[in-house]
Amino acid sequence: MLRSTLSKVLNGSKLSPNLVCVTFRASSDVAKKPEKIEVFIDDQPVLVDPGTTVLQAAAQVGVEIPRFCYHERLAVAGNCRMCLVEVEKSPKPVAACAMPVMKGWRIKTNSDMTKKAREGVMEFLLVNHPLDCPICDQGGECDLQDQSMAFGSDRSRFTDIQFSGKRAVEDKDLGPLIKTVMTRCIHCTRCIRFASEVAGIDDLGTTGRGSDMQIGTYVEKFFMSELSGNVIDLCPVGALTSKPYSFTARPWEIRKIDSIDVFDAVGSNIVVSTRTNEVLRILPRTNEEINEEWLADKSRFAYDGLKRQRLITPMLRDNKNQLTPVDWEAALLTVGKVLQQAGPNVAAIAGGMADAETLVAVKDLLNRLGSELTCTEHVFPMDGSGTDLRSSYLLNNKISGVEEADAVLLIGTNPRFEAPLLNSRLRKTYLHNEAEIAVIGPKVDLTYDYHHLGTSAKAINDVANGSSPFSKVLKNAKKPLVIIGADLLKRSDGAAILSAAQSLAAQATNKPEGWKVLNVLHKVASQVAALDIGYTPGVDKIREAKPKVLFLIGADEGAINKEDLPSDCFIIYQGHHGDQGACIADAILPGAAYTEKQATYVNTEGRAQQTLVAVSPPGQAKEDWKIVRAVSEIIGMKLPYDDINEIRSRLNEVAPHLIRYGDVEGANYFKQASQLLQEKKSVDDSPIDVKIKDLQDYFMTDAISRASPTMAKCVQAVLKQKESKY
Amino acid sequence: MAFLGQGSNSLLRITPILKRVAPGIASTCVKNASKDANQIRTDLALLMPEEVEQRKKLEGYITVDDKTDISPVTGVPEEHVKERLVRIYMPPKNAMQSGTNNLGHWEIDFETRQRWENPLMGWCSTGDPLSNMKVQFQSKNDAISFCEKNGWQWFIQESKLEKSVKPKSYGINFSWNKRTRTSTK
Repeated sequence: MLRSTLSKVLNGSKLSPNLVCVTFRASSDVAKKPEKIEVFIDDQPVLVDPGTTVLQAAAQVGVEIPRFCYHERLAVAGNCRMCLVEVEKSPKPVAACAMPVMKGWRIKTNSDMTKKAREGVMEFLLVNHPLDCPICDQGGECDLQDQSMAFGSDRSRFTDIQFSGKRAVEDKDLGPLIKTVMTRCIHCTRCIRFASEVAGIDDLGTTGRGSDMQIGTYVEKFFMSELSGNVIDLCPVGALTSKPYSFTARPWEIRKIDSIDVFDAVGSNIVVSTRTNEVLRILPRTNEEINEEWLADKSRFAYDGLKRQRLITPMLRDNKNQLTPVDWEAALLTVGKVLQQAGPNVAAIAGGMADAETLVAVKDLLNRLGSELTCTEHVFPMDGSGTDLRSSYLLNNKISGVEEADAVLLIGTNPRFEAPLLNSRLRKTYLHNEAEIAVIGPKVDLTYDYHHLGTSAKAINDVANGSSPFSKVLKNAKKPLVIIGADLLKRSDGAAILSAAQSLAAQATNKPEGWKVLNVLHKVASQVAALDIGYTPGVDKIREAKPKVLFLIGADEGAINKEDLPSDCFIIYQGHHGDQGACIADAILPGAAYTEKQATYVNTEGRAQQTLVAVSPPGQAKEDWKIVRAVSEIIGMKLPYDDINEIRSRLNEVAPHLIRYGDVEGANYFKQASQLLQEKKSVDDSPIDVKIKDLQDYFMTDAISRASPTMAKCVQAVLKQKESKY
Repeated sequence: MAFLGQGSNSLLRITPILKRVAPGIASTCVKNASKDANQIRTDLALLMPEEVEQRKKLEGYITVDDKTDISPVTGVPEEHVKERLVRIYMPPKNAMQSGTNNLGHWEIDFETRQRWENPLMGWCSTGDPLSNMKVQFQSKNDAISFCEKNGWQWFIQESKLEKSVKPKSYGINFSWNKRTRTSTK
């Protein structure tokens, strides 16, 4: 049929539209279903797509081929040769990680030839690898250790008869996060590929050849990336290890507790390693839908802030205007008395790390007192449907959906520092999907090329009405995305910007079913849960209401200060760090940080996840919702929940998705939200700004990271590097 | 499984001890079968009258396993039955390593309680007897039934590990018109 159509075209005869349609369908069917190839892994048959490598085919039947340089999420390098396997009738072993399978291949992953090849590779690697496992931080969780035990030979032909010693390489200084012992390096180049592909900075590379080969930054240079910590995980040996964790613990001594990260709104999955009631390190935990297996530096290294500046005992301001430690009884009685006297003149502000349990407990308490003044620190426009329709404030298309996008418009956001793992996905779609990315806002380094459409918010309208060069790209895109930074919407014309973005998103018509164009990227972990529970975004209402008592739930961003409040306003701060909020407080109730409580957080996609208790709260600090529950009992308005299950059933009453852990509760009604938000005011011309533009601003953004010495060192290192001529 | 004589609503089950003997008796008497008295049901012969009564009542019913709670007889203190929350999960891969051989099973553990450094040796101490109890299971359902049998409350922590397999290619490192071309080596 194809041939006849073609000949018709060539002969100049008219093509019937019916025929064209059929031809297209036929060709797309062929493209969609390439024939599978059958290969045999250790005599087990497996059907794979053409182009699949031997290593991937083996993985499909559960056979794991040893590897050092190969990594699922990085490009194939094929230089370690550990994955050599025998293929029947092939004279030489093949590198499984780089070799695509051919039809009918019989691959032997356990034959004598394979074993001999592995032993040979292992022997060469160990010739130049130092025997310092007893003092190496990787000891116990080292791929080289394990694989030399499993696949190596029991003896070596390396005899240093001249006593010339093994190869030695000078250590590199990669900054305050990564410790290097370059003699241990086996040149797998994983770190180089990570830096250039995922982190997007081409700083690492190799110099020299043969036994003179070295991995480094050419000139001494800080590894300036917000994802730098991941090279520690990637390194299969102890060449790159964590500097803050060095010589702290062995992997068999520590307890690993699965948890959720709260330093940004992405909600990365983490594993908290603890020993003797102390957090020793934080590692990523694979979640394909959120963080893959990466983790941002702030989430990974700011844990030492959990030990400093902590509020460990309840405090009350005495008559000398000093905060003095008191016991729980005195603190709770004082707070209770104040709340009783204030009656309905109470307000609450939720900070960026408040969990859903505390948020709902505080809201229940305030509602019982007769107040509706529960607000969040971060602003969101309340015009139109406001926060009633969840689709207006969620990252609707999910984080993993970013990977499929072919045109992305970023408005007033710097995802590189607001959500580093979302940015790594954007970079992935830029690299592998040839996506076109455009930015409205300040020119910042996003680690990939983008079209800069201007700094003014007016540019959104230009894209919408077709006068911008990017509008054509967005219109023709099959999977377009518009991502708005939540910070942008706090401007006075925030509603107009949101409205403009909504109508821009509605223009995309040839998108697939279920693809959601409009996305809002939040900056803090608590915001989505707070809006779901019914908190009012922004503190303007509190400024107007002049409350007698103000409840701060970890609110440290200084959204409100003493001048905004009446002079007799009593401020209660409940949180874990002595920061801005605690400074202005009259009473302090010490709470638990995210590693110390089982609590619910909802990320920017609307995915509820829970943290688990890794260590117990320091001193007299208590779990946050329990404190609120105790206060409620003292003022005689007992909240009806006594344990975690009961408060979770209350969460279930408020919004059932809050306890469906791990799943995204999607939102819809884009059209209705856009209709309700028919903003008359137009977008004003003032330039869009983002708060975090550079790496040095990224490290210290909240109470925990501001208390962290490691984060302070990072800021110093970045500033020093900026002065350097390299 | 419910046992004999337990509660009125639990169903009876009697081990047929004498069933094996019955055919032997029958074969010797085959010739004058018509003159014989009715064959005695050996599984009923040894029952007490009230048990026979109970059996008659339950005729037409089937026996179903009901939930068993062994916590009253395990000797586990009540506070460690009622106040504990068990997490059922698949252990994640250690981010520091690439091996996956010790994964793919389900595990249970208990919520973390206070731990401290023992002043004598600097070792880690806890007052929680269940803190080191990690039990591995083949499947999620095995873990759930184990928890239910022991009377513990549980929740399941699901891991999102499914991903689409995209064929990897060494060639894209060198493709001249794609962004995947490597610049650094």
